[in-house]
Amino acid sequence: MKKIWYVLWVRNRTAVTLVGFLILWQLAVTVFRIQEVFLPSPISALMHLFFRQPDASYLWIKNISATLFEILIGFAVTIFLGIFIAIIVSWSQMSRKFFIPLFIFINSLPIVAIAPIILLWLGYGLYTNVLIAFLVSFFPMVMNTTTGLNSVDEDLLDLVRYHGAKKWQILVKIRFPNSLTYIFSGLKICSTLIVVGVIVGEFVASDKGLGYIIVNSQFTLDTPAIFAALILIAIIGLGLFGLVSFLEKLLMPWQKAANG
Amino acid sequence: MIRMQRHPQSIKMKIAAFFKKNYLILLQIIGFFVLWQVIIVAFNIREYIIPSPLAVFTVLFNPEASAAYQWGKQIAATLTEIACGFAISAVLGILIAVVISWSRLIRSLVMPLLVFFNSIPKIAMAPLFLIWFGYGIIPNAMIAILIAFFPVIINTAAGMNAVDQDLLDLVNYLHGTRWQILIKIQFPNALPFIFSGLKISTTLCVVGAIIGEFIASDRGLGFVLMDSQALIDTPPMFAGLIVIAVLGLGLFGLVSFFERLLIPWQKTGV
Repeated sequence: MKKIWYVLWVRNRTAVTLVGFLILWQLAVTVFRIQEVFLPSPISALMHLFFRQPDASYLWIKNISATLFEILIGFAVTIFLGIFIAIIVSWSQMSRKFFIPLFIFINSLPIVAIAPIILLWLGYGLYTNVLIAFLVSFFPMVMNTTTGLNSVDEDLLDLVRYHGAKKWQILVKIRFPNSLTYIFSGLKICSTLIVVGVIVGEFVASDKGLGYIIVNSQFTLDTPAIFAALILIAIIGLGLFGLVSFLEKLLMPWQKAANG
Repeated sequence: MIRMQRHPQSIKMKIAAFFKKNYLILLQIIGFFVLWQVIIVAFNIREYIIPSPLAVFTVLFNPEASAAYQWGKQIAATLTEIACGFAISAVLGILIAVVISWSRLIRSLVMPLLVFFNSIPKIAMAPLFLIWFGYGIIPNAMIAILIAFFPVIINTAAGMNAVDQDLLDLVNYLHGTRWQILIKIQFPNALPFIFSGLKISTTLCVVGAIIGEFIASDRGLGFVLMDSQALIDTPPMFAGLIVIAVLGLGLFGLVSFFERLLIPWQKTGV
């Protein structure tokens, strides 16, 4: 009997932890008699998810798929553009001095403050949300990849240069493999930021998606729906993080999982 | 010290050296503002859409125009939040990462919850923060911490685990204790990762503090942004954004400086 529990725990640590968290939350709400407007119980949040509400229909499937679609596109754009920018930035001292301050500048601006301007430029829809998500999440990707590309063993570089290696050869064969650990660490940070970015984009301008549900139910003070959406968002974030961890194990089997 | 005695530099030479080293950044900044001004004038853009940099600088530096906004007080408030938030998220992040990479059990307990909470947009939680923590400098610093500590954890944990296996084998063979491995091998190895994480968290800290001020505050740069947004008074809004970006750049520069000080052998280059 004990063994079964142990196997269950090892196989599904993440799920077990999360279920434990939900149970604790439910207990806290019941014991302290917290009003639903402040903090709804997870059960009432989940009821909103799985049962049709009498006064409002939330079309969860449609909204989830809208958000998921934006997240996946935003994530793909961020990965490719982030790595590409990092390669350009780390290519020469000159480009580094030019780009890094610019990126810090862009990234220090709270996206909520610029979002209305982006809305003005691009209008409603997918592009706005993807752009906002990209702006929120590209910085960790660029920083980590650049650090990885640059923190190469100097002796190795000397050796390869002595043999007459070209700059792009060094990039492809030494710098890039060396930066993989950094890239995956950046991807993990990105995976949660991209979710945040897409949701914030939907707050500002959207007619569908989980962010739209949150804004909408904030008006009607329907807190259980907000929390149902938040739980879904967090689960999407966890899924993306898990996907990145899985890819990391697949692509770098020699590396011990740092935070699986 | 020795070098300074050999080459006694006058202040003039130091300034010249500074310009020689940083001319690109200075050119970039000046070019940016000139371009901005030219675009505004050329396309005749109205002030409520985007103000001209001249209008923005008037609001910032003209003693008469800037008096109404009390920039000193606002900057001090935001800076306190950012500094507290950054210091705590750095220490907390590294500590949590050490604990996480120490034990598998704790990692599998803590990591899912961290990812869970980090996926939730803090702006969605904002009204709840207001109910739970009230408003003022400490809640804003807390929001900054909540946003900024995650990259430090992920990067530090990655760095602690990306250790050369041969080195570990050697030290294990020599009966190195786990504590010694942590202090002497894992932690130094993680330093470039840690600094990369800290750099990411500097800008996140700035954003976090500002978002905190958006939600609820009576001072700070985020308050200025909100206030001028409500009045469609764009020059102070953009002045606020510029000051925020300068704070972000300054904090980033500070972290870079410490990085060069602590790991001079590493050419991270940013």
